[in-house]
Amino acid sequence: MTPLILVDGLRKRFATRVALDGVALTVGAGEIVGLLGPNGAGKSTTLSILATLLPFDDGSVTIAEQPLPAAAARARRALGFVPQRPAFYPTLSARENLRFFARMLGLPSREAAHGVTEVLQLAGLEGRADEPVDRFSGGMQRRLNLACGILHRPRVLLLDEPAVGVDPQSRERLFETVLGLAANGTAVLYSTNQMEEAERLCARVVLLDLGRVVASGTPPALVAQAGVSATVHVRTAHALPKGWLATQGARVLESSDGTTAVAISHSGVVPAVLADVLRAGGDILDFTLHRPTLADAFFSLTGRALRDEGESAAAAG
Amino acid sequence: MLRGFGAALAKDLRLLVRDRVGLVFLTIAPMVVITVAGLSLASLYGVKSAGDTVSLLPIVDNDGGWVGRAIAEHLAHEPDLETRAVSSTDDARDLVRRKQAAVALVIPAGTSAAIADGGRGHLVLYTDPVRWIERGRLYAVVQDLRHGLEAAAHDEATVALAGTRTRTDEARAALARSAQELDDGLARLRSQLADLQAESERRVAGGRHELAAQLARVAAERRAEASARLATVLAPLRGFLADLARSEQAFGTWLDTVRERAGRFADRIPPPPAPPAIPPELTELAHMEPQALVERLLPADDSAARLPSLPHVDPLPLPAFPRPELPSLPELPALRLPGLIDLEETSVTGAPHRLNPFDQNVPGFSITFLLLGVLLGVSLGFLDERDWGTLARLRTTPTPLAAVVLAKLAARFAIGLAQMLVLFAVGRAAFGVSLGRTPWALLLPTTGIVFAGTAFGLVVAGLTQSREAVLPLGSIVILTMAAMGGCWWPLDLEPRWMQRAALVFPTTWAMDAYNDLMIRRQPAPAVLAATGVLAGFGVLYLALGLVLFRHRVRQVP
Repeated sequence: MTPLILVDGLRKRFATRVALDGVALTVGAGEIVGLLGPNGAGKSTTLSILATLLPFDDGSVTIAEQPLPAAAARARRALGFVPQRPAFYPTLSARENLRFFARMLGLPSREAAHGVTEVLQLAGLEGRADEPVDRFSGGMQRRLNLACGILHRPRVLLLDEPAVGVDPQSRERLFETVLGLAANGTAVLYSTNQMEEAERLCARVVLLDLGRVVASGTPPALVAQAGVSATVHVRTAHALPKGWLATQGARVLESSDGTTAVAISHSGVVPAVLADVLRAGGDILDFTLHRPTLADAFFSLTGRALRDEGESAAAAG
Repeated sequence: MLRGFGAALAKDLRLLVRDRVGLVFLTIAPMVVITVAGLSLASLYGVKSAGDTVSLLPIVDNDGGWVGRAIAEHLAHEPDLETRAVSSTDDARDLVRRKQAAVALVIPAGTSAAIADGGRGHLVLYTDPVRWIERGRLYAVVQDLRHGLEAAAHDEATVALAGTRTRTDEARAALARSAQELDDGLARLRSQLADLQAESERRVAGGRHELAAQLARVAAERRAEASARLATVLAPLRGFLADLARSEQAFGTWLDTVRERAGRFADRIPPPPAPPAIPPELTELAHMEPQALVERLLPADDSAARLPSLPHVDPLPLPAFPRPELPSLPELPALRLPGLIDLEETSVTGAPHRLNPFDQNVPGFSITFLLLGVLLGVSLGFLDERDWGTLARLRTTPTPLAAVVLAKLAARFAIGLAQMLVLFAVGRAAFGVSLGRTPWALLLPTTGIVFAGTAFGLVVAGLTQSREAVLPLGSIVILTMAAMGGCWWPLDLEPRWMQRAALVFPTTWAMDAYNDLMIRRQPAPAVLAATGVLAGFGVLYLALGLVLFRHRVRQVP
């Protein structure tokens, strides 16, 4: 089956700065793919190109089997876009906004009315549908923002950090809505900085950094691909002496002030590590086992350096 | 407190310095307006700016007399005025109607003669009621000219009168001298005549005495001669009369004898013819004494009637009569008080001369605020769409961007159109502005300027990427377009170069069209060209705006 989002060798340059450098990804029908990366990695640029908002310099992009930019107009018929910042008319009511966008999305009047009612229920905004949306809370505005993008039941849905700054209840409603759409066959590309969201929603993730895909796959595969180990954190009454660890498959990551982090190859070596601590005369006050997460893989693959300058440049470009 | 105040003050000054919009509003925008206003209004204060206004004044001289020549000579030295001799009144009016001249001057035939004859001459001005400042300037020039002509004629008459008075005074003095000489001569003549009269009387008296003596002598002689001649002449008469008496007596005797011899036949004898009767005067004459007869024929008192002619008296030689040298009175100059010159003003379009200032201000300021509304409204509206994120969202929908843009422009267009209609309605109700001959025709330039202004808003939106850029750019553009385009003051106040430069602004064309309809009272076809230009501006701005805007939005998602 042909993916509904097909990106290959995508390149984009803003003046002298390379924003995207050979990005490739696919999203199939009913699939939710997370687009991860630090600020300035190229997530928003990628989404803007896929949303037909930005031209690209090289590569190929196909949305719902429509190549961009030639068939952008046809691609838009299948496209739902939920920008990072809520995008609607603040002095209009939620219903008025939805009705307007439904018409702009090409829905006939009756279907538009039906769609408005449906997404109002989906977003949990029926009770406030006729209030000006500038009175809405952040979470309500986020839900409305999503509702505006799915009025026409798009085959392809692009979400740019839709859950930033929302309350847990709103986040849950958003997730349920996205999962529901995917279940109905919508290909979802979900851009986020929140690893938990990706792990919760995405079957696959694509990790971008500095305009390149540094890793992609399922979250566990990405963790494995990153080579991130589980760690045991041990707190002792006294500092441990040098050379105290003798267990195979374990190595000391750091040690200071009675707290020691030990990387382990698998959880089966944890008793041996604790035994080594006791043998070294360490009084164990506390210990925790930390399994590797997508965030660990993220840091492992992208580093911990701040990317704000790059993000600023991208925004300016 | 003081420390906090100082910090807050420093912060606000720092914010101001970093506020480009504020700095532009504080400096560049007022400088632009000051420059435009200063250049535009320079002539109002009598200051000549570079490329100053040179007014064209077509002159039609149907008179061909001294008035036309004087006008041409006078106006040749008038600064900032180009006179052009035009052959016909229609051509001159056409120049005004085509807005190449604010005023045309016509000198009707017979003007010079009328003024010279002391009648009233008149000059005709064909004026464009819109260009009332230039018209006022030219009107003042012609008024000045008119007063100059009248003053020149007055001066000429004054000089002529003064000359006449001088010559008259001289003649009067000469006449007085001659009169005195004549009086003197007459006195002498009177004296001579008195002498002559006395001599004549004396001579006549002597002549009369001598004549009477001569007459008496002559009469005595003639009576004596006559008595002698009468005696001689009357002697035969007396003899004849005596013979006759004897004959008559003899005949009577003979007749008696005859009758006696005839006996009884005596009664058959016819009476003999009667001898002629002797006139008693002849008888008396024959028996009068010659002396008595002379006395009778020549009475003594009859001698005066037959006086001999008076002795010839040679007249006394007349004294040489002084011939007075009569002065030749000066010829009266062909002088009449010069007539006055009337100015007759006629609008080339038949519009009233008096201008309702609101006819200028209502459309002018309506356009200004229309531009503020649509230009800033459109550009800031797109910025709002961008800031709200709705523009990006709309661009991801199947609806073409052009439709989104045109819909926004159409909405602004409708609002602008309604705004203009309301302002004109208020202007009509509150200030009595003219709506022209055909009020519906105002829709033509109104539609044009609203369209052009709305489309220009798209250009501004395409050129600017922030609210901070829109406000200074928009305000400068609007103020410049309004000021130079004649929205705030009549366009003819501006120097020529600025008037020509202003043609690149739609405001200029709109104001021209409004002036045509509202002040010049032209019919609707008169503004079709201006409306077409406005539509052209609109199309051009729309095309340019779409390109710029599309380019702009494609740069930033």
